Amino acid sequence: MKWVPDTSAYDETFDRAAGPRPHYRALVTTLESFTQTEIDRRERLQKISLVDQGITFTVYGEKEGLERIFPFDFVPRIIPAREWERIEAGLIQRVTALNLFINDVYQEQKCLRDKVVPPELVLSRREYKRALLRLTPPRQIYTHVVGTDIIRNDRGDYLILEDNCRCPSGVSYVLENRNLLHRVFPEFFTRYPVRPVREYPRLLLDTLLWSAPRASENPVAVVLTPGIHNSAYFEHSFLAREMGAFLVQGRDLVVEDSAVYMRTTAGRQRVDVIYRRVDEDFLDPLAFRRDSLLGVPGLVNVYREGNVAIANAPGAGVADDKAVYAYMPALIKYYLGQEPLLGQVPTYVGLRRDDFAYMREHMAELVVKTTGDSGGYNMLMGPFAARREVDAYLAQMKKAPGNYIAQPLIELSSHPTYVDGRFEPRRIDLRPFILYGETIRVLPGGLTRVALRPGSYVVNSSQGGGSKDTWVLAARNT
Amino acid sequence: MLSRVADALYWMGRYLERSENITRLLLVTEDFSTETQGLAEQVAQAAWKDLLAIFPAAQVGAPASAFAPLSQAYLVGFFLDPANPYSVHYSLRKARENARSVREALTVEVFLAINETFRALDADARRGLVDPPALRDALSAAHKGLFSTIGAIEHTFTRDDSWLFLKLGESLERVYRTALILRTKLPALGASEPRADVALYYTQWRTLLRALGSLENYRRAYGARLEPQLVVPFLLFDPHSPRSLRFGAEAVKRCLERISGEPGPASRIIGRLHAGLCYHDERTAPGGDYAPLLDGVVDASGQAHDALAGQYFAT
Repeated sequence: MKWVPDTSAYDETFDRAAGPRPHYRALVTTLESFTQTEIDRRERLQKISLVDQGITFTVYGEKEGLERIFPFDFVPRIIPAREWERIEAGLIQRVTALNLFINDVYQEQKCLRDKVVPPELVLSRREYKRALLRLTPPRQIYTHVVGTDIIRNDRGDYLILEDNCRCPSGVSYVLENRNLLHRVFPEFFTRYPVRPVREYPRLLLDTLLWSAPRASENPVAVVLTPGIHNSAYFEHSFLAREMGAFLVQGRDLVVEDSAVYMRTTAGRQRVDVIYRRVDEDFLDPLAFRRDSLLGVPGLVNVYREGNVAIANAPGAGVADDKAVYAYMPALIKYYLGQEPLLGQVPTYVGLRRDDFAYMREHMAELVVKTTGDSGGYNMLMGPFAARREVDAYLAQMKKAPGNYIAQPLIELSSHPTYVDGRFEPRRIDLRPFILYGETIRVLPGGLTRVALRPGSYVVNSSQGGGSKDTWVLAARNT
Repeated sequence: MLSRVADALYWMGRYLERSENITRLLLVTEDFSTETQGLAEQVAQAAWKDLLAIFPAAQVGAPASAFAPLSQAYLVGFFLDPANPYSVHYSLRKARENARSVREALTVEVFLAINETFRALDADARRGLVDPPALRDALSAAHKGLFSTIGAIEHTFTRDDSWLFLKLGESLERVYRTALILRTKLPALGASEPRADVALYYTQWRTLLRALGSLENYRRAYGARLEPQLVVPFLLFDPHSPRSLRFGAEAVKRCLERISGEPGPASRIIGRLHAGLCYHDERTAPGGDYAPLLDGVVDASGQAHDALAGQYFAT
């Protein structure tokens, strides 16, 4: 069995001097007990299983067509109980602050008046919905489901990379990856107390119903999907099935008498909570984008009157802006009076004159991103870009400096990944999922994404990344 | 349930049933054609040409070579051609697309079965199978896959409205297609004389029963006697054989009665059709001419479909 340790980044599994880290020893021993032939056989088994089950996602603009499987690497990523406790506490703190921030932005705007965040940074964004000002969502919750991306630097510190407060995706793969690994390598689980993830759909449904405006009756929650052509359609359908909720498209819903109804074979049926997996700009052609065919005309009015809950609430996008990110440590202090429990990546904000000057000078060392995009689209990896690309990008930047932020390149940690018969280091990140209902709960682990190209830093599924099962170990009572 | 989901399940049922029908027709016609091609080529030709009448918009390409058996071009065209709207490939793809669009309304087992069956078929299509033994093997495999899908539906689906719409599509497709097959085949069969070639004559009747999945059920009822005056009423009126028109009409009627909500125009159309098939007498087919009756079944199926679409799918 060949293991290739990482020599440049933090290796999750191997300590450069001492061999496998304590929590990886049993896994390494188990893997080494297999012959190469057996491992290859299991890997084939796993691939067939993915295809047969149709666990797929869509890459926009790819010729291969609608469905591609999301590559899965069977070497699990292991997080010890003590490390997870810190991450979990840090995430709960952060999501609490994010939700307070959004409430503030749409209510009193104290943080803007106190200049904790530059007002123009918030008020000029597309994600800031002026129409929703002074509107309070049920239970004052905007961020029912948050997916926060976490990376580890070359010292192994966990750092928050970005917050996804609109419709973070990937949780279905967390559940399916676990199923898959159970089937393909049951041996792995015999020596580890791995915390289960199976409960997520139930917790999600609880979270959604907690916000239902008609709590006394039997509230109905639905999952709103753009449809089969959306890249995360598998997940929408998976979650609806697992929650026992209706999966609806915009055309299945209709607004009448200040309420939202589904069109059913037995007439109209009232809907109380919409877990929307449609971008908020497309939710309602009367309130936001007029050309939207995915939305429900009049939906936002019903929401305004408090007759339907929308998760995540419209307007929540102001918080996952990449420029707001730079102010998160200050916002945590401002709202909670606490120091942030989890660190984050130093960020230069194009809006600040000094920062922008620095960005211009140091393009070749920085990772530059547009504030509005996600999924690894429209970013520039300075250290790897050709001169021409940098110049072209800079020309764009000068037109609207406020739309850009920059961060130093972080050496993402790496993890052994099975490639062509060897265990090679590949860079990884982590997306935990946080549910904000009666309490804030974090799914143990989350989605570990892995960059399958050697040396690559880009782990997004839309950019050819894969994923791993992520284990959080239960604390042993010793 | 959601109208869109009901619509997709209904079509999934129709396309699954259609896939199974075409697969069976191909297997049976291939047998018949191989058996008769040397004896009476025109009869074998006619059997294949009937497919073009049963599936009106279908088209078939040229045979692979001058030595290819008659069946070769038809097998390729009706089995694997993705562009032929009545190929197994096309129908199963549609069934799967509908299944995929309402995956949350299906059980995992059902989606797995339909997905695997289609993927195997699609792989055959990509390999470009042309020789009849390989095509036959693949057809049999597809047939098994279809039955495992139907079995998964039977064993895992809860009997709610989703189930009813799926079964409604299946039963209505079966009634419609059975009536079309009989309408196409009966005139020529009825006109032929047993004296001309006794063996061939009975082979044709046996093939008709097999084509409608009813040979064994018929034998159970009447033994090995193949009398046209027994075969046709059996295919039309038998209350127990799942492929008879009466049985199919009853299945449609039951589904409609159980779907929640008020009964609509489809119930009336199907109720009358079913009554006619139950309480038949010599006036049902004067002079042994079943053509008007079969035309009536085809029309009623079409009207029932329109009525369903109006009541449940376009709300």
